[in-house]
Amino acid sequence: MQIRKLKCEGGDKMQRNKSLSLIIGIILITSIIVLVAFANVFAPYDPIEQVPENRLMSFSSKHIFGTDQYGRDIFSRVLFGGRTTLTTSLSALILTVILGLFLGMVSGYYGGLIDALLMRIVDVMMAFPFMVLALIVTSLFGISFLNLLITVVVIGWVPFARLTRSIVIDAKENTNVQASEILGAKSWRIMIEELLPQVISPVLVMATFELGKLMLSISALSFFGLGAKPPSPEWGSMLSDGKTFFFQAPYIIVGPTLAIILSVLSLNLIGEGLRDLMDPYEIPKLEDCPKRRLLG
Amino acid sequence: MFTKILKKTMEMVVTIFIATIIIFVLIRLSPRDPVKIVMGNPEIAMTNTKEYDIRYEKMSEELNLDKSIPFQYISWIKRVLKFDFGKSIYTGRPVADEIKERIPATLLLAIPSMILQCILGISLGVISAVRHEKFTDQVIRFISVFFSSVPAFALGLMLLYYFGVHLKYYEVSNVANLSRLWLPVIVLGVISSPSLIRVVRTNMLQEFGRDYISFGIARGLSKGDILKNAIKNIALPIITILALSFVSLLSGAVVIESIFTWPGMGRYAMESILLNDYPVTQAYALFMTIMIVIINFFVDIIYTYANPKVKM
Repeated sequence: MQIRKLKCEGGDKMQRNKSLSLIIGIILITSIIVLVAFANVFAPYDPIEQVPENRLMSFSSKHIFGTDQYGRDIFSRVLFGGRTTLTTSLSALILTVILGLFLGMVSGYYGGLIDALLMRIVDVMMAFPFMVLALIVTSLFGISFLNLLITVVVIGWVPFARLTRSIVIDAKENTNVQASEILGAKSWRIMIEELLPQVISPVLVMATFELGKLMLSISALSFFGLGAKPPSPEWGSMLSDGKTFFFQAPYIIVGPTLAIILSVLSLNLIGEGLRDLMDPYEIPKLEDCPKRRLLG
Repeated sequence: MFTKILKKTMEMVVTIFIATIIIFVLIRLSPRDPVKIVMGNPEIAMTNTKEYDIRYEKMSEELNLDKSIPFQYISWIKRVLKFDFGKSIYTGRPVADEIKERIPATLLLAIPSMILQCILGISLGVISAVRHEKFTDQVIRFISVFFSSVPAFALGLMLLYYFGVHLKYYEVSNVANLSRLWLPVIVLGVISSPSLIRVVRTNMLQEFGRDYISFGIARGLSKGDILKNAIKNIALPIITILALSFVSLLSGAVVIESIFTWPGMGRYAMESILLNDYPVTQAYALFMTIMIVIINFFVDIIYTYANPKVKM
């Protein structure tokens, strides 16, 4: 089947298109990371110094994204702000993935009571939309960036745990796992050595998409002033600051918004490319090809 | 069938029960003192301390805060079952009434958005599947990836600025009427369609591999008839996505309602959070959670009805 699939007309073209979105995504995210990481080299101005005579200027060759209400160059602030935004989102995601992997693996491998209990919790967590939970947590525990990140982790592990669990339940029956069991390997060792490698690539695909979603949710909450304001510039808080002046100077939000869109877009492109490369269900079978041509 | 529904109903009740416990625990874990929120701080209230303490005690007793935690939970549940969510600290009116007033506006926004999502999602998804790997497909795929990367508030703000401020075509006010409906509906519909496009496309491609399609082609059925059959067969995944997006339209409307100053539930919840009006937030969270559990329940029922093989 695998060999025949390659012969299918259009197969090569398909493969090329898939890697195209992956390549564009990787180029985009790499350039964003480089720009942000070396912000001190690329940023034309100081992100914190206020220049009152330059306030609320539109786009120009001097200020690509214009200036904000304190006359600070928005482009420089976007570059420096990216450090906070990207590192916090990424660390929240890593915590989420680890928690989800762990719980999903334990649940899928041991089954029984642990599994039943965890799946019930998963059901309940799925009943809380992220937005609603984030709102209630911020209203009860105060508005802070830390609370926001805790919410992200508390609710974010659910899809990862579900995915991991379903893969582990299937993989448990594989001969390599059963051989290890017969040889008397400890369960943690089976999980790390035999099960983790099978889980890791689908989880990676999901993680790219989830990171994008997470950045979107965080930016939305920050936009409404629920993300608090860290001392250094941050994309979400820049949006939140900017919205007061939006109708007077609409270009004030363009810079940070563009930064968010490009980052999420690159993540989604990578996710899309990875998924197409890895997910066998996405690639139509050989038999489909002539029919599709008839229809197309 | 009947036993399955009964089992699902039991599960739903358990889920709602656990959800209420979580919300209750969150409320009790909160470092805020509800009595102080209701009465105001002693420094701000400027009353003499002794009188304040007595009133504080009385209020705590009234709110059952001196009783044990299980007792508090039960009395809270009892009130919730009677739709008594307490009074808004800000307006002093019962929260249930305030929410009830705002439901129509939210539905007025959510239902047309879902219809738009359906139209966009199914048509573009089918076109994308039919023109698989052709230029049209690539364009549709890129557009859907792009719109799933745009924050809803950014799209909303840009359109609001363009139509409201620049063209002065859209009325910027805070009433819910039909003439103000189209812009938020466009934003919500466009933002929520990528997931549907994806699901329709993938499932259609899988359907195209099935024998009945070849049979249809062999019999000389028109392309439209063949597609009609295929769409019927992918109804289940479409229903799932629509149910999920109805939920996210209800909860995600927080953002869009706030931007378009639409007087629905989402904006109300957002305002209450910024005003520290905590009874409202709780009621909103509880209401949304129960709604979602019920929607999920119906999706499961539809699933079993359409496909009795589904294990529940």
